[in-house]
Amino acid sequence: MNLAVRDVRRHLARFVATAAGVGLLLSVVIAMQGIYAGMVDDATILTRAMRADLWVVQRDTRGPFAEASRLDPSTLARVAAVPGVRSARPYTYQLIQRRHHQQVMRIAVVGLGWPDDAGLGLPLVRGRQLQQAHGELIADASLGLGIGAVLPLAGEPYRVVGLTRHALTSGGDSVVFVSVADAALIALDQPAEATVLERQRVVERLRETDLGRGQPALEAVATDPRWRAPALASPPVAAILIAADPLRRDEIRSTMASWGDVTVYSQREEEALLLGGVVERARMQIGLFTVILTLTAAVIVMMVIYNLTLEKTHDLAVLKLMGAPWPRLLGMVVQQAWLLGAIGYAVALAMTTLAFPLFPRRVLITDTIAALAPIATFGLVTLSSLLGLRHVMGIDPASALEG
Amino acid sequence: MPDAVEAIGLSRTYGVGAAAVVALADVSLAIAPGTVAALLGPSGSGKSTLIKALGFVSPAQRGEVRFAGRTVVKDGVALADLARLRRQHLGFVFQKANLTSFLTARENVELASELGGKADARRRAHELLTYLEVIDRAHAYPETLSGGEQQRVAIARALANEPSLILADEPTAALDRARSRAVMALFRKVAHERGAAVLVVTHDHRALDVFDVLYQMEDGRIGPYQHDPTKP
Repeated sequence: MNLAVRDVRRHLARFVATAAGVGLLLSVVIAMQGIYAGMVDDATILTRAMRADLWVVQRDTRGPFAEASRLDPSTLARVAAVPGVRSARPYTYQLIQRRHHQQVMRIAVVGLGWPDDAGLGLPLVRGRQLQQAHGELIADASLGLGIGAVLPLAGEPYRVVGLTRHALTSGGDSVVFVSVADAALIALDQPAEATVLERQRVVERLRETDLGRGQPALEAVATDPRWRAPALASPPVAAILIAADPLRRDEIRSTMASWGDVTVYSQREEEALLLGGVVERARMQIGLFTVILTLTAAVIVMMVIYNLTLEKTHDLAVLKLMGAPWPRLLGMVVQQAWLLGAIGYAVALAMTTLAFPLFPRRVLITDTIAALAPIATFGLVTLSSLLGLRHVMGIDPASALEG
Repeated sequence: MPDAVEAIGLSRTYGVGAAAVVALADVSLAIAPGTVAALLGPSGSGKSTLIKALGFVSPAQRGEVRFAGRTVVKDGVALADLARLRRQHLGFVFQKANLTSFLTARENVELASELGGKADARRRAHELLTYLEVIDRAHAYPETLSGGEQQRVAIARALANEPSLILADEPTAALDRARSRAVMALFRKVAHERGAAVLVVTHDHRALDVFDVLYQMEDGRIGPYQHDPTKP
């Protein structure tokens, strides 16, 4: 006769409710791990999707994700000319916030070096890659835009032609992919008022110079929109992505090491920079939080099991008096702890399946987490039953005779 | 045939120095198989301490307890696996039924039979509950049973491992006169029909005719029962 099961059966509703509570607690512990895993995955998915062998960024920066990086577009031709470089393409990255259909969207705009890079490495789940240099974008599904939807940016309509899944920044923002040229337009987008003010500043600066004072007609020329565009320098890019001959990567790096304006990172270094710079603090925070939560869960489970044992003290004393062997009594406590853990784990599993996808941040249950969670739960409840076992050991069978 | 249980010179003192209380003072007794014995005496006379010593729950500091002719406790030292002795050869009945709260009546009896290593524990539980006329309450939990039903289930439990010694500590204290007499008669029946030795601690003087032997304790000492005409 299994005493643990009999006891649970007698107080089924209470036991299941307690186990569900434990399960919710476990699900929070798992969620913390999943949030961290999701954050790492989100952070690295962008770099991996670019399929670059080398990342060229502004000298002495950790760009383009960990900090801003600005490279003159002319660098692209210089990089492409380095022996061993098979192809080079520009890359831009910027965060914008727009209101669309009464909803605030925080978007990371990635500029792809179209036509060389039309989004081949992106995790597309629907639609297609970019087929033209202007007016198309690939958006992450988390933005809620469907294929064919139009998103106005920089005063122009951008049609969604492809959807990715889990293309997010380390901050959880959804990513859209456009051509570098479109990314530059979006970056330079400013309201009409700002343009008027900028023109006024140009006129004022001109009037402070001898040239401006001597030739007032220059004011009209300097503020004429027709003259403005060619006068502007090409907007900078954040990085240049290199597809390199595998045997000549070191050679390429040593060549560029002598350039004063760039720093070169391998794909792995770029990911490490991202994780170390952007995610590291969050990792520490989540790690500490997970430790505290795990300890809290252990203490709560321990107290639950101890209380379950405590309220059976008299029954256990009678069973001891009847000569019930130790393994049977201790087994009762441990089996109940395991049952509590099993139900709790099932609840946590249901939460990961049903509730976690609704979380605003991605909760990624990796294979490691999925494998470790039941083992950790088993260990946790087993350890937590020690206090209950100690209580069982200490019960005096003679106390059963004392009424 | 050896006595079912025999106590020789049991002594036990609680506390030390001036606060010392003598619970057992050189107590000796023997109960033969098939005998139903009563142990009477006022509160604090040492009855429960003797029951604990004879039940291998709390050994006396001095003296010897023999079970079926074999010394199992001597001067407070266990010479055998006492828990095993209890589950295989002893049955306990308490003042309160003390049934395991999360088991049904049948399961309470079945568990005791199982612990005693008896085969077909379920069938045996069914037989005992039938014998004690509580089979119709077999699936009820203790809290839903009346006091009398609980006590009958407790007796069934005490019989489940086919014990050679049943120790009952004031088993009728919570029962009315009729039920009290019925329980005592049941002990007699069990002793005579099944050959078990039964020792019943009781304050109840109304059913003493049921017992084969009467003992009385006073200040930790044991002797034959002396009838007090002032008691009913």
